Amino acid sequence: MTGATDNGLSGLTADEALAMDYALGALGRAERKAAELRLVGDPAFRALVERWQLQLAPLDEATDPVTPPASVWAAIAAETTASALKPAAPVAAPAPVRGWWHNLALWRSLGLGAPVAAALALVMLAPSDALPGGAADQLAAASGPQLRATLAGADGKPLLAAAFDPASGQVRFAPVAQSEAGAGKVPELWVIEGNSPPRSLGIIDISAGSAHSIPRDRLAGVKQGAILAISIEPIGGSPTGTPTGPVIATGALTAA
Amino acid sequence: MSGHTPSAGAAELAGLLLRVAAADAAAFQIFYERTSAKLFGIILRILPERHEAEDVLQEVYVTVWRKAATFDPTRASPITWAATIARNRAIDRLRARPVRAVVPVETAHDLADDGPAPDAALLASQDARRLASALAQLEPRHAAAIRACYFEGITYDELAAREQVPVGTLKSWVRRGLMRMRGQLEASEA
Repeated sequence: MTGATDNGLSGLTADEALAMDYALGALGRAERKAAELRLVGDPAFRALVERWQLQLAPLDEATDPVTPPASVWAAIAAETTASALKPAAPVAAPAPVRGWWHNLALWRSLGLGAPVAAALALVMLAPSDALPGGAADQLAAASGPQLRATLAGADGKPLLAAAFDPASGQVRFAPVAQSEAGAGKVPELWVIEGNSPPRSLGIIDISAGSAHSIPRDRLAGVKQGAILAISIEPIGGSPTGTPTGPVIATGALTAA
Repeated sequence: MSGHTPSAGAAELAGLLLRVAAADAAAFQIFYERTSAKLFGIILRILPERHEAEDVLQEVYVTVWRKAATFDPTRASPITWAATIARNRAIDRLRARPVRAVVPVETAHDLADDGPAPDAALLASQDARRLASALAQLEPRHAAAIRACYFEGITYDELAAREQVPVGTLKSWVRRGLMRMRGQLEASEA
């Protein structure tokens, strides 16, 4: 890693140097991936990167436009709008983007370092008594969970409580805010452990009190400190194996 | 934040993205028509092989379609948002390749041969003129190193090998250059 004496400028912190290098595009593959993981969970680091991205962006005006061949649009349309139009019912009259996830966080890592939307706040676990309606207590009474998380949106408002019982492999959810994924979309649950990329725990139903059994092999090693996150994905789940839609809520697992 | 100045074009593109977020296929096609040549140009500088660049361009717009709802006009202009996706995808593709051979010494490319900086007067936006003028005040080699990293997606290690300077020296050029550039930009905005 870059130390204060080796970064080409005394007084530049390691984070500032890394943000600069990432935004410039000068990092090698492994360092780049590591920086992208930081972008997921560290809003302060993300802000440093976005500031450089915005300052460097006017350089793009010096790049001459090149019209791509028509085949590119055909391929894009086949992969996006054409398939979206097939299920006539949900998409024929697409609902405007709305609901509580509209302005919430963006899943910014994974190669998509766009300087966008509201910061993805990794909300530290709220005390369970901070949840309205005693939702977490109901959960605790219902299933005797060993780990729980309060998943909150970018604005820090709790959206749902999750309780995870490693013994049974069940995760139960108690919504504390109304939610809807929108037509043609489903919520998908992810776990982020340490510096590893998000791992899917599958499509979930976040309506009241629903319980999900998650295959044991997917749960291996999930423990206190891991981050749970929910993103909005196309029906059937993320096509890429990593989150593609907006992340609506995140929270850390902690001992119940 | 260092402000980007919203233009009429940006407002229109932002309106299109809002419709794209609501799965509006017509708006998506217009957004593509308005932005794809710029994004393709950016990708081609990083990935000069056409077929590879076309693949990346396709990925970029599939991402735009899926992520339009996350675009926030208060944080960046639509074109900056989309261009950042394009650069990141292109660099990811470049990094996924096996490590390239270092250019042999006899054909080593001199940064100074990258040509003069674009004439500031020819650049359309005030932001671009300010940035060009800030870069023009740096040591030419330092400004050229910044441009090489940004436009080609080349790593510090590769550029140091190409320039035949120690990596630490190259990083120092780039980082000092960027900090000075930022200082100039902020002074000119004040």
